[in-house]
Amino acid sequence: MNPSTPNDPNDISRRGFFKLTLGWLAGTFAIIASAAGAVRFLVPNVLFEPSQIFKAGKPEDLADGSVTFLEDERVFLVRQGNTYRCLSAICTHLGCTVNRTEKGYHCPCHGSVFDDQGNVKSGPAPRGLAWFQVTLSKDNRLLVDKSRMVAADKYLVLPTKV
Amino acid sequence: MNAPLLKRLWQTFARSRVGRSIFRVGLPESNLERSQAMTSSFLLHIQPAKVHKHSLKAGYSLGLGLISLYLFFILIGTGVLLMFYYVPSTDRAYNEMKDLQFVVSAGLLIRNMHRWAAHLMVLFVMLHLCRVFYTGAYKHPREFNWVMGVGLFLLTLGLSFTGYLLPWDQLAFWAITVGTNIAGYAPIIGPKVKYLLLGGNVVGQEALTRFYALHVIVLPTLALIMVAVHLWRVRKDGGLSRPDESGDVIEQIPLGQLPTNKSYGLMELARGTTPQVGKNPEDEVFSWPHLVFREILLFLLVAAVVLFLAIFWNAPLEEYANPIYPPNPAKAPWYFLGLQELVSYSAFWGGVVIPGLLVTALVLLPYLDRARAGVGRWFARERVVANSIFTICLLAAIVFTIIGTYFRGPSWSWVEPWQQPPAITEGR
Repeated sequence: MNPSTPNDPNDISRRGFFKLTLGWLAGTFAIIASAAGAVRFLVPNVLFEPSQIFKAGKPEDLADGSVTFLEDERVFLVRQGNTYRCLSAICTHLGCTVNRTEKGYHCPCHGSVFDDQGNVKSGPAPRGLAWFQVTLSKDNRLLVDKSRMVAADKYLVLPTKV
Repeated sequence: MNAPLLKRLWQTFARSRVGRSIFRVGLPESNLERSQAMTSSFLLHIQPAKVHKHSLKAGYSLGLGLISLYLFFILIGTGVLLMFYYVPSTDRAYNEMKDLQFVVSAGLLIRNMHRWAAHLMVLFVMLHLCRVFYTGAYKHPREFNWVMGVGLFLLTLGLSFTGYLLPWDQLAFWAITVGTNIAGYAPIIGPKVKYLLLGGNVVGQEALTRFYALHVIVLPTLALIMVAVHLWRVRKDGGLSRPDESGDVIEQIPLGQLPTNKSYGLMELARGTTPQVGKNPEDEVFSWPHLVFREILLFLLVAAVVLFLAIFWNAPLEEYANPIYPPNPAKAPWYFLGLQELVSYSAFWGGVVIPGLLVTALVLLPYLDRARAGVGRWFARERVVANSIFTICLLAAIVFTIIGTYFRGPSWSWVEPWQQPPAITEGR
């Protein structure tokens, strides 16, 4: 104890100060580390989910000017001439599946309306529908990658058969 | 003694060696025993031995908190029974619902009771919140208990939401989809919270497992603990709010004029914010039987209403979850339809900002509104401003809910309820 103020109840020795500090630090660290560990435990490291990359059949099976809905993948395949694109059918608002209409697309949940380029015409959707990258696999199938978004004017162009 | 036979039999048992070992006190016959009946029983000692007459007035509290608690008990009872059959699997959950409906003895009744008690609990927790507001009961010294109450209100909504996901029907699947997407709109942590809730990127088995764990153990345990704290605080904050409780008893009754023929003394008078303040012994009655009997009666009434509803109206079950096509229109239960109507304008503003602000306002309310006047009376004149603001918010919530319920048709389009809804021309 410091001899100069022997009767001060708030007086604290150097050893006492370090004990208190270390104790509080250790306690705080233990609580934060436990909480962080528990939250990290809840974040899965391995997902058993369908692949984001899928084959969408032969290009020639799509009629020219057609828009084809693939149920299991929740996408629309769009063919215009010899160009191929893939449009997400998942509404950007809250994830419902949009329906195709004459002028574009319409979400049944909260009424968002999109044009045929996926742009928002009206409703609560914050963004247009996503366009996914389309490539051609080695065995001549359309290959869609739902993890890669592209601009609406990005096409897969295939040479027209003569 | 000319007591009825049943009472005499009970008294004989209660005063026997075995009876005394269990109950300590038989049917109370003196005031001392009436106190002991409360304090010597584990279940009854949660409540005070004596209770203020004002707290027993049905027209003041309307018993709304107690009704909510009873509904919670019914939900625990029926919920535990349902757990003996339910399997949180996307393949089996829906079939278990069908089994409960058509195969299991009393399965339909118990599921119906669980469903009706859940809807009633949301309703009565909301009404209880309104009652506490309109009587100014959240004011000092009950600020923190109001905050606990807001927490319990949110837990009730969380329990309802996680509950209606479990049947894995169309409502369940699309409610998880929409609900977790709303969570995803929260700033910064939104996408991470969504990932954590779903246990992945898609709505599937992992999401069902997580919502199941939340529904049957995490949220009910939290709710039970908070209910315990809520009730404990009611006692510690001086029982139910009542008018003019701030008066200093010692000043009201000059010491020399204390009646001498009473069994109480100065120890029953206290000042400050302790629970005893304002409890003039003359204003109190013994909890046994005045409070206990009212409580038992109210429980019977609540149980009867739930049973009546469960017998005559079945809990709905939509089609098996179809991850491709949402139902059209896809509507949440009534208590979320106001929110759904808001979300249909903007997911961020209607789903995150406005609910977030409302909850923040509710939590901060007792610390912002520090005026002391008007506690313990319905619609007190001194509280006209606060009551008006609250009423406007309440009316807005009701209007949005009514619009969402009756004025929204396929694709969330505007429909007047007295008109034939337009035919669904798109989708399935």
